[in-house]
Amino acid sequence: MDLGKIFLLALLVNNIVVMRFIALCSYIGMTSDLGQSLGMGYAVTFVTVLATAATWPIYHYVLVPLNLTFLQILIFILVIASLVQLVEFYLKKNVPGLYTAMGIYLPLITTNCAILAVTFENISFKYNFIQSIAYSVGVSLGYLLAMVLLAGIRERIKTSPVPKFLQGTPILFMATALIGVAFMGFAGLVK
Amino acid sequence: MVATILLTIGFSAVLAFLIGVALAFFNQKFKVERDPKIDEVRGALPGANCGACGFPGCDGYAEAVATGRAPTSKCSVGGSATAETLAKIMGIEGGIPEDKVAVLLCQGAIDKTVAKGTYNGIPTCRAAKLSTGSVKTCSWSCQGFGDCTNVCKFDALAMGEDGLPHVNYENCTGCGLCVEECPQKILTLVPRSRVGSIVLCSNRSTVKANVIKTCKVGCIKCELCVKSCPEGAITMVNGIPVTDYAKCTSCGICVQKCPTKCYKMLEIDVFGAKKEVPVMQEAQA
Repeated sequence: MDLGKIFLLALLVNNIVVMRFIALCSYIGMTSDLGQSLGMGYAVTFVTVLATAATWPIYHYVLVPLNLTFLQILIFILVIASLVQLVEFYLKKNVPGLYTAMGIYLPLITTNCAILAVTFENISFKYNFIQSIAYSVGVSLGYLLAMVLLAGIRERIKTSPVPKFLQGTPILFMATALIGVAFMGFAGLVK
Repeated sequence: MVATILLTIGFSAVLAFLIGVALAFFNQKFKVERDPKIDEVRGALPGANCGACGFPGCDGYAEAVATGRAPTSKCSVGGSATAETLAKIMGIEGGIPEDKVAVLLCQGAIDKTVAKGTYNGIPTCRAAKLSTGSVKTCSWSCQGFGDCTNVCKFDALAMGEDGLPHVNYENCTGCGLCVEECPQKILTLVPRSRVGSIVLCSNRSTVKANVIKTCKVGCIKCELCVKSCPEGAITMVNGIPVTDYAKCTSCGICVQKCPTKCYKMLEIDVFGAKKEVPVMQEAQA
């Protein structure tokens, strides 16, 4: 499969949030404000690509030769969490602007399920390293897209007369479902 | 089998060790020189992370205090003890907050005022104020829908049967949420330690007859208080008598002279009022 196809599939056709319903907690939790959802989206993009770059070699050059592939979950969580911590140290010192922009989101997303899902799928889809990177960029930008979409819709919901029994999270999930239906239109995009 | 188990343990241990060492190393290498005052201030804060100070949690406030961007008196959870400690750490004087409480500057209970008519709109003060100007004939009066009681986080405000919010001065922390919320702006913050007289009326109308018609306990601008005050502590400001607390001796002459009984003694009639608040039975669901 070529890289563009992988990217588009991950971004639109199989959008991680609205088509596959992964990473819903941060999707609902962080979209009350457009700026916040953008920050979260950027941070997830950044960490996902980094996590892929770190876990793919570990899996293929360490876990497979040692026949320890069942340790995947444990090792990946460990690696991703530590990686985020390292990056945080680095940003704090050398790129304080970026650190304050992403500051509170970075530690939050160490256990974001989207990131873990991407690293697992890179393995189970049998992507090579470059394909894995393309896939993780696609997925995380898809996450960013979904976040921004919902944040925009929430601005409207705030001023709309929502029935009392749907106020709060229920109406957000209904909106998400409708976005999902709209995204089904992308199904024939990649042949 | 045994080899796999050993390999698992060995590999996990090695990886965890390597990551631990790397983290420790990078923590040192990328250490950002922080003002030690930030940690000191942070240690003195209660750590409730409530955000009442207006900063994102205690960390945010500690940083703001240490860099001099915020006063030391913002923490309402810690109160004056915390403020004192913070002021000591920062080496500044006068950072102790005044312990303030909310006071309602209106006595326009249902039986003392005249309603314009029957209001059937959205039952909030703000909506009533927007749509009718005021549900009572006095435009400055308490609307009595309890917007203030709904925002109070400390259970210090309750609507009484008289249609006015009553402040429980044991619970009131002086956070000012109700003052912000009141569309009539007739709630005000007063230092808890203040003694002296206060006018519990906000009617700015200069026409005496108007006030008498609309409210039995409104200030009718007779200025008897101004004339009778032996200390000369009372002046009319924008149609309302204002007490100068530097001069007030709590003699109580203005309270006696006031024909409509809108002058009250803070320490007796406001803070010293009975603690039991008559709570309305039909609280809004």
